[in-house]
Amino acid sequence: MNRKHIYFGILLVCLALNIVFTQKMVHQFKFENYENAIIFCVLNLIVFPIALFVYKSDKKQKV
Amino acid sequence: MSDKNNRIPFDEDNYTHNINRNNERKLDRRGFMKTIVGAAGVFAVSSLPWGAVAAKELMGLGDKEYPHKKIADLNKIAVGEAVDFKFPGEHDDAILIRLSEEKFVAYNSACTHLQCPVFWQKEKGEMLCPCHHGKFDVETGAPTAGPPRRPLPTIEVKVDKGAVYAVRVKRYES
Ligand code: FES
Repeated sequence: MNRKHIYFGILLVCLALNIVFTQKMVHQFKFENYENAIIFCVLNLIVFPIALFVYKSDKKQKV
Repeated sequence: MSDKNNRIPFDEDNYTHNINRNNERKLDRRGFMKTIVGAAGVFAVSSLPWGAVAAKELMGLGDKEYPHKKIADLNKIAVGEAVDFKFPGEHDDAILIRLSEEKFVAYNSACTHLQCPVFWQKEKGEMLCPCHHGKFDVETGAPTAGPPRRPLPTIEVKVDKGAVYAVRVKRYES
């Protein structure tokens, strides 16, 4: 398994996390556990910079 | 490459294998990664309003009081019948069901699956969502069949001087 596959994997994990967090966020919101909804919202927000960072580092690698 | 386009015919005799395939696979992979990053961005942006509304809800915590709203006169609703009304807002559909002489239940009638209007089936004694056949218990609003997983929000009602009033939307007990 070389480097680029690892980056790719991390991005896929990010996507999965996004989906999970969004689902959880909506459910917690509907159940009126607003604190938890906010937590999942923040988690969702954090995933984006991570994904961007991973993408950038992948780009920096020698082709 | 582009300067060749202006010279017709340009001096190139390879017309059949003229696609430069170098690194095409790599670009594919990276393009896909870009899409994922974009998707993460979309997820992030679209979860913002949820967080914002949740935060707003937290600030003004506690039972929100809406002005009591008259639903119907007592003598207009027979036992076993249901009336539709709007509560708390003008666009929030709700349903009131008279179960017995003095027992009333009311719920927000937007199905907790995908918001279809739930209706009362008198003969079967249950509430049914026509969209995907979700069923709810009349006594508690709890989902009993189909896709919904969350109970219907209960609306507290009170009977006063021959009419039924909606008082507030009950919070979920967690
Ligand atoms: S919307 Fe009610 S069951 Fe799907």
